[in-house]
Amino acid sequence: MLRAGQGDPAAVRALVGRKLGRVLSLAQRMLGDLAEAEDVAQDAMLRVWKQAPNWRPGAARFDTWLHRVTLNLCYDRLRKRRERPMAEPPELADPAPGADRGLIARDLGRRVDGALQALPERQREAIVLCHYQELGNIEAAALMNVSVEALESLLARGRRALRAALFDLAAEA
Amino acid sequence: MRMTAERFEALTAAFGADPSHWPAAERDAAWAFATAHDEASDVVQRAAALDRALDAAPRPAPSPMLLARVTAAAPLARSARRAWRWLTGAGIGVGLAAACAAGVAVGALYSPAVTAAFSAAAQTSDDAVAEVTGLTDDAG
Repeated sequence: MLRAGQGDPAAVRALVGRKLGRVLSLAQRMLGDLAEAEDVAQDAMLRVWKQAPNWRPGAARFDTWLHRVTLNLCYDRLRKRRERPMAEPPELADPAPGADRGLIARDLGRRVDGALQALPERQREAIVLCHYQELGNIEAAALMNVSVEALESLLARGRRALRAALFDLAAEA
Repeated sequence: MRMTAERFEALTAAFGADPSHWPAAERDAAWAFATAHDEASDVVQRAAALDRALDAAPRPAPSPMLLARVTAAAPLARSARRAWRWLTGAGIGVGLAAACAAGVAVGALYSPAVTAAFSAAAQTSDDAVAEVTGLTDDAG
């Protein structure tokens, strides 16, 4: 991080390689819109560059800080959506299960994305942080400003709703 | 920590079937429970099926354009900053300075990131460059 902040090209490339995809994934699953997620990922990385020269190791875990920055940017956009409905909301897959079992991978992904976007925001955030971003329960709860018990409740309710929405997929094991 | 069937079910209902996702404080006890109790298998299979369904949503990969934009905005190395200051301080016109800077950057660093930043500078003003790259007169 410090080397990246000093402009070391190798450190910059390494940091981008390790973190940009992770940030983009978090934003895309929170927002359900790739173009918006790319904007958020770019904004988050710009804040990394701004912060990098002053970063003090040990002051905070970088990955946690980056998740917090990205989540805040996502919530800014979600709030604006609520205040001003979009002319063209992101296209989401129909969460209703399809009859055919030969869905191609892209359609499967769209269905899962649609089911995720249909969750209440806090449940979605909990699922994204713990399942997709693979954060521990303590770290995720701290990011969400809730207790670990409340996080567990959000996760359980979110997964229950996802199982109902994707029951044909979740029963195919 | 003692693990019960109820707690194991609640754990997998919230965190799924992958032990690496289970809370660290309960992971060992939950693992021991899963391996010692046949009834845990159904619970794990149910959670694993949903995990697999969730993983059907692929992780998006950064586009080349996004990679380029983010990398071009990264802080510049000290030698590149010196080159930029020298060019702008010498009073050379913005267009000429930016064109030269691109060449200087290539020669000095052989770095795609830096050349991209300097190339961007060819199309914008000093202030805009400073805003995008974090390159200001008082920086580092």
